[in-house]
Amino acid sequence: MKRNSHRSCDVHGTAALATLLIAGAVAVSTAGSSAAERDSAARAARALEGTATAHLSLLEANGSELIESGKVSGALSGRMRADLHTGAVFAGSFTISTHAGSIRGRGTARPSEESRGTRYESFRGTLVVKGGTGRYAHAHGTAGLYGVFDSRKETLIVQTTVGTLTY
Amino acid sequence: MRRARNLLALLLACVCLPAVAGASQSASLHVQFTPERLGHGTTVEVTAQIVAPSGDVPSPLTELDVHYPRELGFAVSGLGLATCSQARLEADGPAVCPAESRMGHGSALVQIPTAQEVIQETAELAIVRGPNQDGHLALLFYASGTTPVSAEFAFPGLLLAGPDPNHESIDIIAPLVPSLPGSPDVSVVQLYAALGPLGLFYYEHVAGELVPYRPRGILLPKKCPHRGFLFAAEFGFQDGSHANAQTTVPCPRAGRLPIGSAR
Repeated sequence: MKRNSHRSCDVHGTAALATLLIAGAVAVSTAGSSAAERDSAARAARALEGTATAHLSLLEANGSELIESGKVSGALSGRMRADLHTGAVFAGSFTISTHAGSIRGRGTARPSEESRGTRYESFRGTLVVKGGTGRYAHAHGTAGLYGVFDSRKETLIVQTTVGTLTY
Repeated sequence: MRRARNLLALLLACVCLPAVAGASQSASLHVQFTPERLGHGTTVEVTAQIVAPSGDVPSPLTELDVHYPRELGFAVSGLGLATCSQARLEADGPAVCPAESRMGHGSALVQIPTAQEVIQETAELAIVRGPNQDGHLALLFYASGTTPVSAEFAFPGLLLAGPDPNHESIDIIAPLVPSLPGSPDVSVVQLYAALGPLGLFYYEHVAGELVPYRPRGILLPKKCPHRGFLFAAEFGFQDGSHANAQTTVPCPRAGRLPIGSAR
């Protein structure tokens, strides 16, 4: 009984992760196929649309506060560092560093109903971009976010959903 | 005739019953961490006591909100990696829930006033992870008592934003539990809940084998908050009254590890 329930949880969690990774991969490949055009269009319009996916690993845990960092790909590519409060509500600030400058912002999220309490806790929320450096010094915008937190390894996958970044 | 006799017995019982508190109850709260090491996982042990004036039986507890410091890493405790539904818990008890849904244990001392005396009973508590509710992490408390009142029931607690920016809350709606015929609902006078890995084992697959391990537990911050870890609780009772209690867990000294504590 114990074995079965454990296995079913793992399978459920892996499936959820796989779905997310595939979604992330599609986003990256779409972006990659027309990167030059998109880059030039974005520069002209000074706006970015699309999804970005971050795969973050734990750097430091301090009570309910986590510091995570990792690669971002998709509409933006670079590295992300996030300082997160993991409590009744997930909230935190992030910095995405790209070759053209950095983007700063904040986000909040709540556990999703579909989480069902596996080791992979999914959550949904919103993020707000509030400036940066270099090309993104005046960046602003909002986006939805979807994420999966692996409570065993304390890694995090965050994907932005619909949103626009203006800079 | 038999019905009349029952009615008479009920009336006499009402006349002779020890009073359930009419004046407000008071409550006290005690919290400890086991082990008590900053930067490490721990079990948070909460003990609440409810007292009615003049030795009366307190009014039955209907609501309990425990406010804990937001620095405590409940969500990153490694606890509650599976869930158990309230229906399953109520039908078959915690033994059928996945081991990885267990988050803690406890007990409740209750009083049942009868015509002759006030009877005490201890109920065992199991704490498991429930499915999220409206975007909130949910705990389920399962209480079981045998003598003199045999009852098993489950009730939820939700992790919510706290009353101030420094605290978060576990809000529990406690059900009324009928006692003996003709007696008031049972009254909780002491509640003990240990939320953490103390006494728990989870299982994970390692190289094809199912290996037991102890979840990390509620992560304490590396630095103690100013003036220690402040906990507070709000109690709501059937008679409409409320009571408040608070306590502070002092800052552990660096390297302090109580004798007999795990790890």
